[in-house]
Amino acid sequence: MKILVVDDFSTMRRIIKNLLRDLGFTNTQEADDGNTALPMLQAGNFDFLVTDWNMPGMQGIDLLKAVRADDKLKTMPVLMVTAESKREQIIEAAQAGVNGYIVKPFTAATLNEKLQKIFERIDG
Amino acid sequence: MKLSDKEQLALTIDQTRDLLSHLENNEIEDAQELIDSFAGQGDEDLFVEIGKLTRNLHEALTNFQMDSRITDIAASEIPDAKERLNYVIDKTEEAANKTMDMVETCTERSNKMAKDSEDLLVEWKKLYNRELEPGDFRKLCKKIETHLEKNKDDADDLHRELSDVLLAQDYQDLTGQVIRQVITLVHDVEESMVHIIKMFGSMDGYNKAKDETVKKGGVEGPVVNVEKRDDVVQGQDEVDDLLSSLGF
Repeated sequence: MKILVVDDFSTMRRIIKNLLRDLGFTNTQEADDGNTALPMLQAGNFDFLVTDWNMPGMQGIDLLKAVRADDKLKTMPVLMVTAESKREQIIEAAQAGVNGYIVKPFTAATLNEKLQKIFERIDG
Repeated sequence: MKLSDKEQLALTIDQTRDLLSHLENNEIEDAQELIDSFAGQGDEDLFVEIGKLTRNLHEALTNFQMDSRITDIAASEIPDAKERLNYVIDKTEEAANKTMDMVETCTERSNKMAKDSEDLLVEWKKLYNRELEPGDFRKLCKKIETHLEKNKDDADDLHRELSDVLLAQDYQDLTGQVIRQVITLVHDVEESMVHIIKMFGSMDGYNKAKDETVKKGGVEGPVVNVEKRDDVVQGQDEVDDLLSSLGF
């Protein structure tokens, strides 16, 4: 399973990569915003996308919409990990086709639970 | 010469008596003269008041121009504050990376310790089950000795690495001081702005704006006053509830 982690803060990317590694996902790559992430996704056989929302350049919500609009990428599971906590934003993300939504600060258990839920749904 | 209030009152009573007696005696011209002199006096007071106001306004304008606090704030303190806040970003990032470096090292070390102990336990069980050859027993003893020595070294290293994690938290003190200085500056800027509004703007508008809750649109990062907001979720549980109510 190849996972792309998108966040503008390198420390947060590192935290997520470490947690994913502890959960057994060792094949991860990083991008610092949507503009860097999208070409990587289009070129790179990724199976899963974890993205922040608030980033300079292309924001996470726009990256999600771009993924859903791309024929090759539209079925890719997307997990949003973000500090954005307005109800209308969560609804917007849901309507845009997000597969999971985690608000920061979060725990390893939450990340694990959301990942499992997404995989169950894909397998089932 | 300026009269005291009491003297002014006595004068006014006398003048009124005079006016009344002029009117009663049908001395219209005298009465008119007296009234004109009253009006002249009133104008004088008005001019004095206008004079006072003009001087206050002049002083206020001069003070405002001379207010070096605002000049300092704009010229050096705000640029300085930006530098300070960048320092906070750098320091916290540095601390986070230092901590994660150490955590990664510790994790690797603990994984290795677990693996070594597991390998050793396999052979230890063989000893219990009498599956060890006499030559193997000596090898096992040597392995246990090496393992214990390594454990001791690893424990020392772990201790050192954990101390480094502890020390990396000193950013809290340093950034806390810097942020407090910036908060003081923001407070000073607020005071200066209120001062300007008092002199040139409308305090009613200010007070009204103060009471209004600003509805924020778009991305805003972490919400720091969750308890005062009703448009944000309070945590992951509320996110999950919201999503499940949407059929997720």
